[in-house]
Amino acid sequence: MPAQAQSVLDALLASPPLQAYLIVGAIMFAIGAWGALVRRNAVVIFMCVELMINGVNLTLVAFADFLPNAGGLGVGYAVLVIAIAAAEIAVGLAIVLAVFRSRRTVNVDEVTSMRG
Amino acid sequence: MVTGQTFVALLPELVAVGFLILVLMVGVFFQRSVGVVAGLAALGALAVFGSAAGLLAAGFSGEFFGGGFVVDNFALYFKLIVAGSAFFAVLAAARWSGDTGDAPEYLTLILAVVLGSILVVSMRDLFGIFLAIELATIPSYAMVAFDRRRRESAEGGMKYLITGVVASSVLLYGIVLIYGVSGSALLGDVARTFSGSLSPVALLGLVLLLSGFAFKVSAAPFHFWTPDAYQGAPTSAAAFLSVAPKAALFAVLLRILLEGMPEARPTWTAVMAFLAILTMFVGNLAALRQRNVRRMLAYSSVAHSGYILAAFAALQGQGAGQAVEAVLIYSAAYAVMNLGAFLVIDLVGEDAKSFNGLFRTRPALAASMGVFMASLVGIPPFSGFWGKAWIIFSGAQSGSVLVYVVVGALVVNSVLSVPYYFGIIRNMFFEKPTLDAAEPPGGGALKASVYVLALLTALFFLLIVPISALAGGSGLG
Repeated sequence: MPAQAQSVLDALLASPPLQAYLIVGAIMFAIGAWGALVRRNAVVIFMCVELMINGVNLTLVAFADFLPNAGGLGVGYAVLVIAIAAAEIAVGLAIVLAVFRSRRTVNVDEVTSMRG
Repeated sequence: MVTGQTFVALLPELVAVGFLILVLMVGVFFQRSVGVVAGLAALGALAVFGSAAGLLAAGFSGEFFGGGFVVDNFALYFKLIVAGSAFFAVLAAARWSGDTGDAPEYLTLILAVVLGSILVVSMRDLFGIFLAIELATIPSYAMVAFDRRRRESAEGGMKYLITGVVASSVLLYGIVLIYGVSGSALLGDVARTFSGSLSPVALLGLVLLLSGFAFKVSAAPFHFWTPDAYQGAPTSAAAFLSVAPKAALFAVLLRILLEGMPEARPTWTAVMAFLAILTMFVGNLAALRQRNVRRMLAYSSVAHSGYILAAFAALQGQGAGQAVEAVLIYSAAYAVMNLGAFLVIDLVGEDAKSFNGLFRTRPALAASMGVFMASLVGIPPFSGFWGKAWIIFSGAQSGSVLVYVVVGALVVNSVLSVPYYFGIIRNMFFEKPTLDAAEPPGGGALKASVYVLALLTALFFLLIVPISALAGGSGLG
């Protein structure tokens, strides 16, 4: 194997630095936030929120793994965050279902009986 | 280490959990008996109040769970506010929730919000704070959307939920970034990071954290969910959610800022000053245009968030200690007057016209509503006046031009708010009655709570001395 290919392979196999995880997490959060702002379907908005929360969770797990004094506590937090996200979506879908029953739509722009 | 002390420290929370399960279980087996379930829930709120008052009277304090959970006078005081408002919310909700046929579920949701709110004021760990906030907000989405007979309820719930979950993830991102920079989520360790010049990541974390909190306490420009959520919500839900979780959120925000980032004070007082001015003007100007009293009170709650944020801006210079007192006093003052005003809506109606001539048909109720409205404006000797007075005193001592501007904006806004509060008073006293004179039967508990709250609002000055003594020993500020 040529030396150049070997170094590329090493770079690919080496574990990525902390910054890489943080950047991916930030990008996921940004995509989710953008989607939550521009999409009008309530269910799609929930999917975008999940993306935001998972971006945050990736950041959290990366910090917990790389920080010297964290002592693995961050991973425990991450599990709790996953549980919270699930609870939010469970309540959320129930409410969206209630809206759909009364109006036959879940488009947030069409659900506007209150103004002012 | 978990010892007997720990259980004593957790007494209010354990009582809340116990009653939460009890109410739900009793509801399963006695589906028809609303009175029993409501009585149990009210008893639960009283028991939480009593246990917190007992701890306060015994002078109990300490840190538990590795410093992540703290019991001090400050936390216990806010537990009293939350439990007290929950008691009135349960009384207000009893008859209505019985009509829906789902009384146990609704009352359980109230107790769940209580549990989250009394936990959050004791938390000293950022992740614990997040968990407790979510414990308080997730049930509150369900409370807002609970009324299946009104289409607005589910709509308000959906808007509250969507903005709420986005705000939660923003708040969580802020917390995670601060955790990453500090290496620990305990406020004491965070304080070490937030000294000297802030790193960009720490600053970003602070901005995201404050934005998340601004959403949750409905500060402008993040307030837009508030009117729809409170207008759609059942009245007892709007009354309770605008008071108890909000007071708890302000309390924990105060704790984060004072214990977690005392040396970044110039940064966050400036942010708070900006938020306060914007929130006061947006809330009051929008409230002026409302004909629906419930929506008017929703915007008024935005404005009152602005007043409390003004106290946060004044947390500097000589007035810092008094600003902490101002937050304590204002939270209690706002709780009694706003709960009362919302409960009157439940008895009278949400259209401003339904208040016409109320003084002639139901004088006691009209007088109570008059007290609440005058208090929300800030007229002495009612409770709202003392809250505002303390904010103005503390701002005047801060020695910062920006805070003087904030205090000036507060005075201007109090004047701005006169027309819409006094519009109700004018309708009650000077218009011809549109409602038939016969009072609708029932609602005795609701009427009694309105009168008690009016009395508390009027006699609030008796509480000032104990509250400020308590703030002096709270350890914050």
